Amino acid sequence: MGTLTAAISVAAAVVASPAGRRRGRGSATVRCSSSASSERQALFNRIAPVYDNLNDVLSLGQHRTWKRICVSWSRAKRGDRVLDLCCGSGDIAFLLSQKVGLDGEVMAVDFSRQQLHTAAERQEQRWKLCYKNIKWIEGDALDLPFTDCYFDAVTVGYGLRNVVDKPRAIREIFRVLKPGSTASILDFNKSSSLFTTSLQSWMIDNVVVPLASGYGLTEEYKYLKSSISQYLTGEELEKLAKEAGFSAAKHYELGGGLMGSLVATR
Amino acid sequence: MRRTVTLLSRHAGGGGDGRSIPQALSDVLVCPLSKKPLSGVDSIPSLATAHYCCPRFRPANLAAPVRVLSRSRYCEASGSLVSDAVGVSFPVVDGIPSLVPKDGKFLEDDQGKSEQDSKL
Repeated sequence: MGTLTAAISVAAAVVASPAGRRRGRGSATVRCSSSASSERQALFNRIAPVYDNLNDVLSLGQHRTWKRICVSWSRAKRGDRVLDLCCGSGDIAFLLSQKVGLDGEVMAVDFSRQQLHTAAERQEQRWKLCYKNIKWIEGDALDLPFTDCYFDAVTVGYGLRNVVDKPRAIREIFRVLKPGSTASILDFNKSSSLFTTSLQSWMIDNVVVPLASGYGLTEEYKYLKSSISQYLTGEELEKLAKEAGFSAAKHYELGGGLMGSLVATR
Repeated sequence: MRRTVTLLSRHAGGGGDGRSIPQALSDVLVCPLSKKPLSGVDSIPSLATAHYCCPRFRPANLAAPVRVLSRSRYCEASGSLVSDAVGVSFPVVDGIPSLVPKDGKFLEDDQGKSEQDSKL
């Protein structure tokens, strides 16, 4: 029985980087994209058991406020069908669940099976009636298993930065959103301010990584710094959203500029 | 190996074996590659399933379109969601459907596949 791995390697050639194209076929770059995705998937599987605790510790609980803002800006309301992409252990999905109620539905997608199992366990432990409206799905942000124009709102919390092909992910988000609906994408802010960038870098080196090392996850959290440096600025995110077809896109800074949220309307 | 599919009757929740998913969820999901509805593989030989992704399943005398006799979305026998459009099945693990393209598997046939046939 064959797998799709080889087939996907060929299909993924359409997202080969410019560096790959200079090499001709770009098969090496295709393997790099595919292996980068697998490495990140493995990383998030490894940190799943302590992910929630570390989020609380590292942000002093502030991540909860930022996630509430993300949900609020998505304009999700009672009865809506919403997607939480890169849902991780489900923080935003649980907030959306309460927002849309039992008349609505929440599709929570992540590529890490371990994170999804953690989320499902939390769903069982917390037991609130409205949480019945959450469905966990293992999926790829680059190939969403939903038809066009399906969702009334989409949220992404600290996920877009980890996707290997951000333009394609934003195009997929656009595809599955109903016209007139909103995507709210929360993440670290890649600031153009030297002060903010230096502060972020200092905090990662002197607070985040040392704390993560106590959980045996030094290398996994060192990844955070490079992922922020390779992320897009607010302006670049706005441009990407408009290129994908969104009629309006605005990036807002949060947490003193350390965090940011792209709000894009189809 | 011929897979036997039973037509789904509507059921509200996941099965006790931890593999199945609610009908409502399987109705919503589509193949991540083709974006077409997921459907079940039924027991009628190759005529009934659209293995158009694989050249050896394109008999010259077959009139198009091929009828898919079963529209059930979830294959209880294999515990998977099936995309006839690309001839791929996606597993359901502990009640969570896995629709990551790279985790899909080409559908088996009873004559066995060579490694060459399984790669595009």
